[in-house]
Amino acid sequence: MDEQPHYRFPPASAYRLNRCLFALKSDDAFRARFLQDARGAMSELELDAEDAAALLRGDRDALLALGAHPYLVFMADLRLRMEREPVSFEFF
Amino acid sequence: MLVGAFACAHTPQLLARPSTEDRELVLRVHAAFARVKRRLETLRADAIAIVAGDHVEAFFLDGVPALAVYVGTECAGTFGRYRYRFAIHEPLARAIVEQGVERGFDLFYTQHAPLDYAFYVPLHFTMPEPAVPILPLHVNVYLPPQPTPRRCYEWGRALGEILRARPERIALMASGGMSHFPGTDRYASPEFEYDRRVLESLKAGRGRELAAITGEELDKMGNIELRTWATVLGAVGDVKADVYCYEPSWHHGNAVVEWPV
Repeated sequence: MDEQPHYRFPPASAYRLNRCLFALKSDDAFRARFLQDARGAMSELELDAEDAAALLRGDRDALLALGAHPYLVFMADLRLRMEREPVSFEFF
Repeated sequence: MLVGAFACAHTPQLLARPSTEDRELVLRVHAAFARVKRRLETLRADAIAIVAGDHVEAFFLDGVPALAVYVGTECAGTFGRYRYRFAIHEPLARAIVEQGVERGFDLFYTQHAPLDYAFYVPLHFTMPEPAVPILPLHVNVYLPPQPTPRRCYEWGRALGEILRARPERIALMASGGMSHFPGTDRYASPEFEYDRRVLESLKAGRGRELAAITGEELDKMGNIELRTWATVLGAVGDVKADVYCYEPSWHHGNAVVEWPV
């Protein structure tokens, strides 16, 4: 049983990683650049090699272990998937 | 004066439904939202004070307010293809921030910040016709350490006093809940039994019990957003909740509730 809280204090060491996930979630222009050239977009935000590798693999567990916020991982991934493989939505 | 109090789920799949979501369930939640809309029209609300937790949209790690008030003339945001904009009831917003501070709550305020979908989703479905201005009130739920449920309840009590003393007819709405665990291993297994116990307690008029829940327990039960409910409960006190619906999907306990005021 994992006794860690589901939503932990985001460590300062993960600030850049979380900033990148935040941009993928909320910044349409950044997300478009990431889809064109992920490495270029990540270097804009000064991600280090380990963060960049985990993000490129879309490896949630590794991202969380690096201090990424679970909600940001979830929504960044959802927004990327919506661009890559547009699922059909019913809009209300 | 305070004319009504509600809680509404804001699950984004209620707005844009992918094929993973049960359409009938979504429509049942919409029907409950439609009841809230009719109630807001019947109550002739002049403004909707909506308490929601920003989902790291307006407030990233550059600045994390525990409790915030939007005091601009209007606020806007986007979610996918949705573009939205609402008038803010500025005199009311200013009164809340000034009187809140006077009552000992060190409120953060903003005149320009993006409005998260947590505010938008319930308003999309419940905004009365003609539309009324809103008053967005943020409670930090996603970036630890969050305010304690007790602090939220106390803020709600002060907020209720401020609203009751105003000349406008104000509806108060909590946005959020119930159990869900986005981004974690628990996403597909929320704590629905916990939700049902909370709803039973609220139906029995024991709202103050929510103030006694620890932040740790809310996190464990996927209910970090119940801080918004605790805020509204502080304003309405121990009155019996009318549960319009409780619809657990495969990842989210969707509830719509009204409290008499």
